[in-house]
Amino acid sequence: MRSLRFHARLLALYFAQYAKARLAYRADFATAVLASFLGTAASFSVVLLLFSRFPHLAGWSFHEIVFLYGFSLLPYGFFNVLSGNLYEFADRYLVEGRFDRILLRPVSPLFQIFFESFRLESLQEVLTGAVAVAWAASKLPGLSPLGLALLPLWAVFGAVIYLSVFGILTASSFWIEDRVGLAPPVFNLMAFGRYPITIYDLKVKVLLSTVIPFAFASFYPTTLALGRTSFAPFFWAVPAVALLFAFLNRAIWRRGIAKYGSTGS
Amino acid sequence: MSTALAPASSPFAFARPYLAFARTSFLNLLAYRARYFVGILTYFFNATVWYYIWRALFHEKGDGATLGGFTFPQMLTYVATGWALRSFYFNEVDRELASQVREGRLAMTLIKPVDIQAMTLSQALGESAFRLVLFTVPIGALLALVYPVLPPASPAAFGLFLLSGLLSALLVGAINFCVGLVAIRTTSILGVLRAKYLVLELLSGLLVPVAFFPEPARKILVWLPFLHMNDTPGRIWLGLATGADAARALALQAGWTVALLLLGRVLWNATARRIEVQGG
Repeated sequence: MRSLRFHARLLALYFAQYAKARLAYRADFATAVLASFLGTAASFSVVLLLFSRFPHLAGWSFHEIVFLYGFSLLPYGFFNVLSGNLYEFADRYLVEGRFDRILLRPVSPLFQIFFESFRLESLQEVLTGAVAVAWAASKLPGLSPLGLALLPLWAVFGAVIYLSVFGILTASSFWIEDRVGLAPPVFNLMAFGRYPITIYDLKVKVLLSTVIPFAFASFYPTTLALGRTSFAPFFWAVPAVALLFAFLNRAIWRRGIAKYGSTGS
Repeated sequence: MSTALAPASSPFAFARPYLAFARTSFLNLLAYRARYFVGILTYFFNATVWYYIWRALFHEKGDGATLGGFTFPQMLTYVATGWALRSFYFNEVDRELASQVREGRLAMTLIKPVDIQAMTLSQALGESAFRLVLFTVPIGALLALVYPVLPPASPAAFGLFLLSGLLSALLVGAINFCVGLVAIRTTSILGVLRAKYLVLELLSGLLVPVAFFPEPARKILVWLPFLHMNDTPGRIWLGLATGADAARALALQAGWTVALLLLGRVLWNATARRIEVQGG
């Protein structure tokens, strides 16, 4: 418990420090938020354009699709806030030798990598997603109250899944020279989780529910609220999947760090 | 490609340095070719999501239905040519320009006796030439193998498609030059550029053809340059724009390219006066 308190305090300090630096240039921060929102709005308009014209997609109504798409922005936004350093890990930390500094401190290296910088403007995605979910929910009768109550928690599990999968891909740079690696195509696979999984073929469903478990991050978490009881086992498996991948991520990082030899710079 | 194509005395001597920029840009990318195999997967996944979405939507309407004037095979072809085109016209000259300004490397560019916009555009074309070989052709082939993509409507349609695709690359080069100059005025360049990608994916018709936009939006969109990135070449391939229609679309596409190049010049002149290069 003490360790949890210690880390929570550390996280608050990291965050406050970063926010201070970031908010020093208010106009630029406002530009970043606006740009981020513009991007989200553009992507969302595609969904609104298409599904307001064709109000049924494989048995899902327009409002259900907005609900699902809106929810997908929650774990995605949390992930974006925290993932900045993952992309730059190989270049900034391994090649430029900053990783040595991380290893010298008495705090988990992975904790430092995740929380050393934040992409604050992506909180906009969480907010936009929440507004979309609330709007869609107000149009949908008979949503499960338990399903709605669990959504925020399940969004956090979803973010843990995204962070773990990309954490594992990032850790591969301890072994592999090519530093861009598999992250970009896997990043694009996130889009599959924004639509009802029933539109895909079996092979895509299996992929999204096993090796790259993105369906557990954004599709299955909505199924309880939307009353799709056939997915109940998948819904309740979300926390377990998140923990499993988090542990996998930690184990792989430990092995990578054990293998790491400094550049000596 | 050789820089010795035009001897100094020839009337094409002015083009020599630009050919060299295009060639360097091509060679720089060649150093990272491993990334492109992974990139093929990225584009394949992007097109695949839309294959499933359209399949479900057409299924809803019954076999042989048309949506927004497209049959299912036509829509798939539109998606496939769209992503293949994007893999060709995509370039990062805006990011490069912005980082040159921020890191002060622009000084080295400014002392070269070349026109900066022409240089940027040659780099964009060099990048596109590279992407055509390692990216666009394999992606097109993969999509055509996996999904029932239609061949071009006619040999003439294919020829006009190639012309239109080339114009798309020039158009995007012109747009990105402007975007780069605007982005350097903020410190969140990457944020602005990311927003640009998402907004252009919507406005170019890459994700959803213009026919699916509401009437007022459609009226505005056809008077903007962005549809010429994807929608124009896509409709030409499918034979949905032929003869006078195709000629008009191509003329508009070329006209917009020229107009945006001019806008880039104006922006550059306004920016160059404000730039201070610090010693270092």
